[in-house]
Amino acid sequence: MARFIGRRLLYLLPVLLAVTLLTFLIASLLPGDLAVTILGDQATPEKVAALRAQMGLDLPLWQRYLLWLWDVLHGDLGRSFRTGETVLSAVGDRLPISLELMVMAEVTALLIAIPLAILCAVRSGSATDRFLTGLAFGKLSLPPFMVAILLIYLFAVSLNLLPATGWIPFAEDPIANIRSFVLPALTLAIAEWPVLMRVLRSDMIATLQEDYIAMAKAKGLRPARILLVHALKPSSLTLVTVTGINIGRLIGGALIVETIFALPGIGRLLVGAIYARDFIILQGVVLFVAVGFVVVNFIVDMLYAVLDPRIRHGRA
Amino acid sequence: MRTIVKALALAASAALLAAGPATAQKKGGTLTVGLELDIPGFDGLKVGVYDTAANIAASLIFDTLVKLDDQGKPEPGLAVSWSHSDDFKVWTFKLRPNVKFHDGTPFNAQALAWTFARLKDPKNNCRCAFYIANVLSVEAKDDLTVVHTLKDPSANYPATLTRPTEINTVQSPTAIQTKGDDFNRNPVGTGPFILKSWTAGDRMVLERNPDYWDKDKISLDRVVLRPLPDSQSRFASLKSGETDLVWADEFEADNIQRAKQDKTLQVLSYAGSGAAVNVFNTKVPPLDDVRVRQALVMALDRKKMSQAITNGLARPASNPFGDGSWVKCKDDGALPEDPKKAAALIKEYGKPVKFKMLFTATPRGRANGQVLQQLWKNVGAEMEIEQVDQATIPARAFQRKFDITPWRIVDFPDPDLQMFANFYSKSPLNLANFTDPDLDKALEAARTTADEAKRSEYYCEASRIINKNATWFWTFQNTYYAMAKARVKGVPKLYGGVIDVSHAWLE
Repeated sequence: MARFIGRRLLYLLPVLLAVTLLTFLIASLLPGDLAVTILGDQATPEKVAALRAQMGLDLPLWQRYLLWLWDVLHGDLGRSFRTGETVLSAVGDRLPISLELMVMAEVTALLIAIPLAILCAVRSGSATDRFLTGLAFGKLSLPPFMVAILLIYLFAVSLNLLPATGWIPFAEDPIANIRSFVLPALTLAIAEWPVLMRVLRSDMIATLQEDYIAMAKAKGLRPARILLVHALKPSSLTLVTVTGINIGRLIGGALIVETIFALPGIGRLLVGAIYARDFIILQGVVLFVAVGFVVVNFIVDMLYAVLDPRIRHGRA
Repeated sequence: MRTIVKALALAASAALLAAGPATAQKKGGTLTVGLELDIPGFDGLKVGVYDTAANIAASLIFDTLVKLDDQGKPEPGLAVSWSHSDDFKVWTFKLRPNVKFHDGTPFNAQALAWTFARLKDPKNNCRCAFYIANVLSVEAKDDLTVVHTLKDPSANYPATLTRPTEINTVQSPTAIQTKGDDFNRNPVGTGPFILKSWTAGDRMVLERNPDYWDKDKISLDRVVLRPLPDSQSRFASLKSGETDLVWADEFEADNIQRAKQDKTLQVLSYAGSGAAVNVFNTKVPPLDDVRVRQALVMALDRKKMSQAITNGLARPASNPFGDGSWVKCKDDGALPEDPKKAAALIKEYGKPVKFKMLFTATPRGRANGQVLQQLWKNVGAEMEIEQVDQATIPARAFQRKFDITPWRIVDFPDPDLQMFANFYSKSPLNLANFTDPDLDKALEAARTTADEAKRSEYYCEASRIINKNATWFWTFQNTYYAMAKARVKGVPKLYGGVIDVSHAWLE
């Protein structure tokens, strides 16, 4: 097991290098120039050239990348040129909010998806199954920003049950904190559950046709026990993969939802940095998201090993 | 040196106001304001020129030397009176005594001189430099007397010090020195509210300054500023009561209409001076031909454009001053909107009319571009839309790398700064590359005349010359909006789009 973990960790390095290099390249392809942005109205060609030299922007791309990487390895991710905030504190302040949103969204999505998937798998081909898979398919084509606005008008404006925007720190008021996450988490969960349900349903249908299920039935085990104990675990490999990928995506992917609900998470930070051409913050946020994505996938790999002993022993 | 005894007149008018319908202003309460943008900070060397979000926060934390009254005329702020030299180049301000910054350090002339020198220092590369280019120095004569020396005369100089910007707000030099990089997010002023807490991207909480020099006029205990970037959820937050007042602009015409019909809400709007404008580069063909430029201006249909882009809210502009300005023109020389004549002029020019126009790389930029493209196509001119990053537009404009570029004349208390910068032949911002001795004469006269009616006439003359030569064209006047709960009272005119809630109260 230790060797397995070690090998997996070793794979992380090249992935992280590739991701950071790629974001560096993409950021440099963005229109706009940091020196021009900083100088604004005063951007005479001479001043721009002087500032570019001062900031090292005139160096070739690979040299700038190596300098940045060197600083990162020494724990210095830089400071926003605009607000003076360090990347570490900017990300540190916002990451917990995005994480809480992500966990709540994913848990909600699973709570919707798993029971429905089991129901569909048991009654596969029935009217219920056809209705639910149809609903999931329809939901896949409804964009989150629209769901968000509908939820706001229903729960915040018409019923006045939940806040439309904003965020209260957990330490200040735990209940208000949870309440402020309900609508954004629900928005994301509504976007996520159809995928989760569909993969679990099809895996489950396959599992239910295995011989050992027939055997369990023949032994007279209760159907609930067969489903939850014997069938669910072996059927959940794909579900775990998809959940993992989703989580990774949600770390930085909640851009729209954080903007609409005015949650001060990492997605908002990223959008703001792009608009302000704040490349240092942009680079830092992408690094964090990439690391998060990689770590989550690493955990998913570990979970595979737990769910399926064959992987653990390298005989898959 | 002539002294203007302003203080007396103002004291008299203040007494009159107080004697009027003195509604019992309720004290206390929290006002929550929804802004569009996150506040970047307050150090001019870091954030450059304040955006509206920073202006709004700054109007609470900081004071300015001079304020604008209801009529748009200067009135005392931290300066109690002022006087000027005969040539309008030296302005002396007497300061309010016994005022302290939030950190307890005294406010005085030395503080003003120090902060100005910091912004002016060319080594510091302040993006604000353009706005203080005309101020040579700010010197402390004694503790409570400060002298501003100008390069060129400015007859209405005190009015230009009223906007809560990175230059005009009075900031604590001690805090700037001790906090260094962190001052940007830990501002210290003399204003009616003190920064209590600030969670970036979420909210800024400000609490009433118990030692404020004018504390009797301040009613609210607390103001919360929240960036709410999405216009639909911003409006929803106002409806549901999470906010009491929200920033708005004419691009959310639907919400503004809805708020107007809602009895629990009110719409605050202010028809400012200035306009959204555009510059022809008069040195590049085919725009070097006055007939082509005139044709392109005559081809506009501003009503239709307003309908297409803002549901009819945007007000057409025929000069660079607008209804909100004290410059009133009987004749501003505007060309008629006449597509037939425009087509005839293009035909007379004889050669194909093809050019590019810059737009911001935003959906709004594209919409504006497509509307203009269609209008010009109708008269036989072919415009290509070039969408660029917002920050590169000034750079392209300075280097004259454009055929037509959008620009803005912002709502400013006095037209001189922008009129002189944009239209005077030798100004580095004469973006149209256009020279006319009569235009120069009118602009020079306007800045050295104190009488408002006479200045107004000079500016109208300038407008006639620019319109006749069609070197610039104006599309829409500046209008500023806010939507609020009906019980929010005491918000002054939204000068420059700044929603100043420092003196507001809740009914």
